[in-house]
Amino acid sequence: MAAEYASAAALYEAAKKVRDAGFKRWDVHSPFPIHGMDDAMGLGKSWLSAPVLIGGITGLLTAATLTFGPSWFIYPLVVHGKPYNWKTVPAFFPIMFELTVLFSAFTCFFAMLIMNGLPRWYHPIFNWDRFARATNDGFFLVIEARDPRFTEKEARQLLESTGGQHLTVVHED
Amino acid sequence: MSERSHVVPTPEGEYFESARFSGLSVILGIVAIFGLALSLLGAVLSPEQFAYSWLFGFAFWFTLCAGAFFWIIVHHAVDAEWSVMVRRQWENIAMLLPLLALFFIPVILFRQYLYEWMLIPRGGDHLLDAKRAYLNFPFWLIRALFFFAYFAVAAFFFRRFSMRQDRDGNPAFTLTMRGMAFVCLPLFALSLTFGAFDWLASLNYKWFSTMWGVYIFAGAAGSSMSLTVLVIAGLKRAGYLQETVTIEHFHIMGKWMLAFTVFWAYIGFSQYMLIWYANIPEETEYFILRNVESWNLLSLLLVIGRFFIPFAILLLRATKKKPAKLCMVAGWVVCMQILDMYIVVLPELHRAGVHMSVLDPLPLIGIGATLAFVYLRVAAKSSLFPVRDPRLIESLRITN
Repeated sequence: MAAEYASAAALYEAAKKVRDAGFKRWDVHSPFPIHGMDDAMGLGKSWLSAPVLIGGITGLLTAATLTFGPSWFIYPLVVHGKPYNWKTVPAFFPIMFELTVLFSAFTCFFAMLIMNGLPRWYHPIFNWDRFARATNDGFFLVIEARDPRFTEKEARQLLESTGGQHLTVVHED
Repeated sequence: MSERSHVVPTPEGEYFESARFSGLSVILGIVAIFGLALSLLGAVLSPEQFAYSWLFGFAFWFTLCAGAFFWIIVHHAVDAEWSVMVRRQWENIAMLLPLLALFFIPVILFRQYLYEWMLIPRGGDHLLDAKRAYLNFPFWLIRALFFFAYFAVAAFFFRRFSMRQDRDGNPAFTLTMRGMAFVCLPLFALSLTFGAFDWLASLNYKWFSTMWGVYIFAGAAGSSMSLTVLVIAGLKRAGYLQETVTIEHFHIMGKWMLAFTVFWAYIGFSQYMLIWYANIPEETEYFILRNVESWNLLSLLLVIGRFFIPFAILLLRATKKKPAKLCMVAGWVVCMQILDMYIVVLPELHRAGVHMSVLDPLPLIGIGATLAFVYLRVAAKSSLFPVRDPRLIESLRITN
């Protein structure tokens, strides 16, 4: 069930109502980010930071292995008069830093794609021709039928009461 | 468009009633008098130790106040919104810079104990003669006067314009101050960099590091942001800024603390690693002194305490969104700035290892209590936030 709203402010107020009605599988679409929308939609903190932390630690450990391994155990060598024990660690910090950042960035990018269900070539909402305006001047709110609380009647009432226009049921195909 | 869009600041502003805190003021005054008097006694009994202890205390407070000044000019230069609510406190803290010029006088009087290069005659050391064009007492004094004149005049005008805007709400002041900020930014960079060279790096005239100025700056900006968190939290606790400064402002200040924790480590490590790797005697001297004997322990504590601990804690959003937790970290960072300045100044006197003296904390406390005493008076002179700043409402409703 999709509805169009007249302005970002109207969409924001509508989102608060839908949040309070207890819907879980729904989303808003606007041409630009709306400040405070996360709270209005009741979105908590993103879990993306967890995979990024794991990625970062993996990067740090990889760098530690790649530097300490060869220079302590496999092929100890005195370079520039520097010792080959733990005191060499300043020379390896840049590598540790770089690999931590690299692994974090890659994890962040790919985890974001996976958590967003991307790449995805098509979405049923595009069957609705008005939705093309979401990248121009349209503000949309979509409640999915998958939502456990969803009934067509209730969703229609809610969206109408919040000032939604052009209420449409968008089908899968 | 947040949930707090209904909050509108009182048009008269909020005023700090110094009468409510006359008790605190008296205590600060007594502490200041005792601290400074005992320091003075120390100056007579043990002038060399006094000179270093004083420079240490001075350097700590100077970096905090200069950092606050930095945040004012950055606020104006980038036309920031969020910082309107806390800007007045930076203006108040920066107004302490003229007072710090006064506290610089002992450094001038006791210079022969601090700066070996002032005593060595021409021809005494070729290394020094090569630097004579820069390192000579008249030029050193002129530079110091220029730095303090710049800080005092600029801090004075930023606060004055801001207060005049409180009265008439003229947005032209915002534009004037933005223009001033563009002039002040490069001057600030030069003043802090060369001040750091003149007063701290030249304790050992043979040593040099092009990153020194940035290193001092990184510590100053981060610790003064921490001080801001403490001051704002203190005011809130005293019942001020209840509706106006929110969790969002603390969150942003926490982000800045995190940013400058990382920046400090980045600069500190870059300076260390290049010197360590190149291994040239006239450069390594500085770090060898601070990494042998008991100084090594303090240096390690600094690395762990100024970077690893606050970094790990500030990384969590939960810390930045809880003012009580953020204050604990902020207090810790300020303590680490004390340690940083200690490690910068004192090893030059006690080369054999850490040697705490009773004189070390006295100037630190004496100067600090005096500054706090004056601060309470300065803060009472104007509203606790710029009441008629054109960006006030945006700052009030900020979400991030």
